[in-house]
Amino acid sequence: MTDGEIRELCHRFFDAYQDRRVDELAEIYAPDCIVWHNVFGRETTGAENLAALPKSYAGQRRRTYDDRTINTFEGGFVIQYTLAGVQHDGHRGALWICIVALCKDGKITRIDEYMDSSKFAAWAGRGRPRSES
Amino acid sequence: MTDRELRELCRRYFDAIERHDLEAVADCCDPEFTFWVNLSGSELTREQSLATLRDGRALLRRRSYDDRRVDTFDGGFLARYSVTCVPHDGRRFSLQACVVAQCRKGKITHLDEYLDSSKFRAPRQAEP
Repeated sequence: MTDGEIRELCHRFFDAYQDRRVDELAEIYAPDCIVWHNVFGRETTGAENLAALPKSYAGQRRRTYDDRTINTFEGGFVIQYTLAGVQHDGHRGALWICIVALCKDGKITRIDEYMDSSKFAAWAGRGRPRSES
Repeated sequence: MTDRELRELCRRYFDAIERHDLEAVADCCDPEFTFWVNLSGSELTREQSLATLRDGRALLRRRSYDDRRVDTFDGGFLARYSVTCVPHDGRRFSLQACVVAQCRKGKITHLDEYLDSSKFRAPRQAEP
């Protein structure tokens, strides 16, 4: 795949993730795609990842994948971005994340995701004092 | 810089940190080097970054960067690795991390590091 094709695939992937188009994500993942997270240290299949998305999406009103910095290398890309989330109560949070993806024949075959799980609670607004009504 | 030069620079940088050879670490970095990590979101200068490594020596007996997977791109490199730390009490812990480096004229000009701070285990204080 060329640099341009890999960048296009990267944007398609993140735009689909952001817009919650699970069908398109299924097209982007190769049938044997693997997803790995540094937080859990284990691999899941692309199908397992997709199956978990509806529940994951339900947690927030909106997510955007901003400040995308993309570099491509032979057979893949690395993207650094800010995951901005708006919770149902209006709380806004941001996480800094890096993803390394391997690509082949127009599909993503592997994703390695690096983030700091100690930021999850603040991102989701957990532990904040409730305002008095 | 060529693919080979970027890979060599990456190897020299991590090997120097493993040896705690701060002169060699400094030699890998441009004078205007900046270091950013997803934990704090703030940038350190080269001197501040070296000071952090120097301070780390008081906590860690050894650290090693294993299972390095390096990819290069135009103007930089990506390194994924396991960093294993051995505090002075002998307990060890490891975590998975990656860095994205921008390079120019044989030096690293900027590093972004991504890791999960929940994997850190603070070394226990020595018993009196």
